[in-house]
Amino acid sequence: MRVGIPHFGLVYIPIKAIARKLGAGDNELIIPPLTSQRTLDLGVKYSPAEACLPYKLTLGNLIEACELGADTLAHARGTGICRLGYYAKNQEQILQDLGYNVRFLTIDVSHHKFRSIMRLVKDMTNNAPWPEVISAFYFGMSKLFALDKIEKVVHKVRAIELDKGTANQIYREAIKAIDEATTGKEVRRTTGECIDKLNRVPIDPTANPVKVGIVGEIYVVLEPFANMDIEMELGKLGVEVKRTMSLSRWVKYSFVLNPLGIDEWKEVHKAAMPYLKRDVGGDGWESVGEKVVHAREGYDGMIHLAPFTCMPEIVAQNIMSSTKEDIPVLTVLCDEQMAKPGMITRLEAFVDLLRFRRKRRGI
Amino acid sequence: MVKVGIPRALAYYQYYPAWKTFFEKLGAETVVSPPTNRAIFSSGNSRAVAETCLPVKVFFGHVISLADKCDYMFIPAIRSLGRKAYHCSKFLGLPDMTKALVPECPAILDPEIDLNKGRRNLEKIIYSLGSHFTSDKGKIKKAAEEAREANSAYRREMSDRGTTPVQVIDGICQSKENSGLDSDVSSQLKIAVIGHAYIIYDDYVNHRLISRLEAMGARVSTPEMAHQEALDIAMTKLVSKPHWSFEVDVIGAGEYYLEAKFDGIITVAVFGCGPDSMMVGKVRHRAREFGTPFLLLSLDEHTSEGGLVTRLEAFVDMVKRRKRVCV
Repeated sequence: MRVGIPHFGLVYIPIKAIARKLGAGDNELIIPPLTSQRTLDLGVKYSPAEACLPYKLTLGNLIEACELGADTLAHARGTGICRLGYYAKNQEQILQDLGYNVRFLTIDVSHHKFRSIMRLVKDMTNNAPWPEVISAFYFGMSKLFALDKIEKVVHKVRAIELDKGTANQIYREAIKAIDEATTGKEVRRTTGECIDKLNRVPIDPTANPVKVGIVGEIYVVLEPFANMDIEMELGKLGVEVKRTMSLSRWVKYSFVLNPLGIDEWKEVHKAAMPYLKRDVGGDGWESVGEKVVHAREGYDGMIHLAPFTCMPEIVAQNIMSSTKEDIPVLTVLCDEQMAKPGMITRLEAFVDLLRFRRKRRGI
Repeated sequence: MVKVGIPRALAYYQYYPAWKTFFEKLGAETVVSPPTNRAIFSSGNSRAVAETCLPVKVFFGHVISLADKCDYMFIPAIRSLGRKAYHCSKFLGLPDMTKALVPECPAILDPEIDLNKGRRNLEKIIYSLGSHFTSDKGKIKKAAEEAREANSAYRREMSDRGTTPVQVIDGICQSKENSGLDSDVSSQLKIAVIGHAYIIYDDYVNHRLISRLEAMGARVSTPEMAHQEALDIAMTKLVSKPHWSFEVDVIGAGEYYLEAKFDGIITVAVFGCGPDSMMVGKVRHRAREFGTPFLLLSLDEHTSEGGLVTRLEAFVDMVKRRKRVCV
């Protein structure tokens, strides 16, 4: 069995770590090349024209995995309202039409998340014993948590560093080092070193950067190719980015805290209540709630990312503009027509507006 | 008398008779907005975010036109109408979107319909909806039962006599056979128009698609004109478990009419529709396998009537020529 996966941010790093730890036997993990223009072109060519960007990009990834010889593909499956529930079904058909005879293994990302992922790991490893599976999984997750921890620091440093690009350079090296680490100890040591390095980057001590929250649909928020590295571009403009959503947070809550009845979005949902009373699928409810929360917490602005024609985010977008809690929101719709210069121009204008607002309020 | 406003859009086409019966039995009066017209179309358009799909924009237009004519606005938040089959996000967000975009709208009745939660939950929701009008639980129960009957009578009326929702609601009880368009039924083109009820029956949105086709000499069938069970069976052949409640109207109806050897299939979708973007491909795929002509009309607020008519004429001509060659 040669198992291919689609990309989703840096999720390939922990998956690779788990596969390597368990020594998959006859099974092989195939990680397609990082999402690129070619991935997008392939995805666009073979997807229905009106499918959303995450659909097109993951299809591109899967085609590239098939080209490398994958015969089985792992994919997310959701029950619920958004198109995600349809991805695997539809993409399987497209791949078959293209002549790839592949089987899909799907991971339920709405319910029974932990069980469903563990099942997949077991399947892929010819039923490795549970203790080994759990320990490998733990190792993979330690990488994920390390990466997110470093990224949080990068977000802060990037906005106020004197020599633009230093933090990004360190971050890139950190990703590589963490990917290559083979033991838990090494992961911890590398994380420590990288954070130290980041803290030593020369910064402007007087800077009081504009603070912007990033919210929206999880795939385009967490996949830099889909959002054209929006966080990095904001960093270049001297903006401090904060995003609640991250893969490690998702893992922490879905696998450990949700089963105990702790809901990470409880506060956010409560904040959204006066404006949107119910879950509308995807991340629409959270987007509305986070606007309210960000406004209360004194953020300067918010960037709302959504794939073009994303149903839940359109609901959010329609509602967000009328909340009592006032904070500028820039909705950036991501699709294959998006061009970087256009996006940067919009960001520059938005950041100027935020600075002007600050000045007017005398901050 | 308390007046309940019902926008003539979205779920209206499928459930209006049931809603009307329910509210009237509870002693309320229902007020329906007029058929979509230019004013409704553009007022809805101007409120919503540009990316919103056309039928939802039209819905807001209907709400605006009703705003000062009723005491309550009935906008159910439909999550699911079948086991594990969901409605689109926008149906769930409708009441809250309306509140945000149409501030002049009167109090909104927004029961959340989720059949996944079971019968008991639905009954509770019906009681709390009815409690706005009466405190008599027996009366609410009776109204709900009568609404259910009205709904099945409505569906039967359409599937047995081949009439459209609009014809049934307006009480135009002419069935296709005696409509006198073309007496020679056998030579008529049989064309199936597939899509969401709120698009294929909104004559303003689809530029009178059905009557245009009929004028071109076609006999038009829509998903509502087939028996629900037959559509379900056809759908199950292609998708084991539907993910959306609309699959039966698109995939199910497509397959059903393809198997019934219709001369052509016209799928009407709106730009930006999430479910359509995933489902239409399947119908197209099957149509190719059957060798049946297939036309996809994608509508948005800019669709020009001229372009649409040209495409329809070309399609009908092609189907006609094909039929002549085949026979």
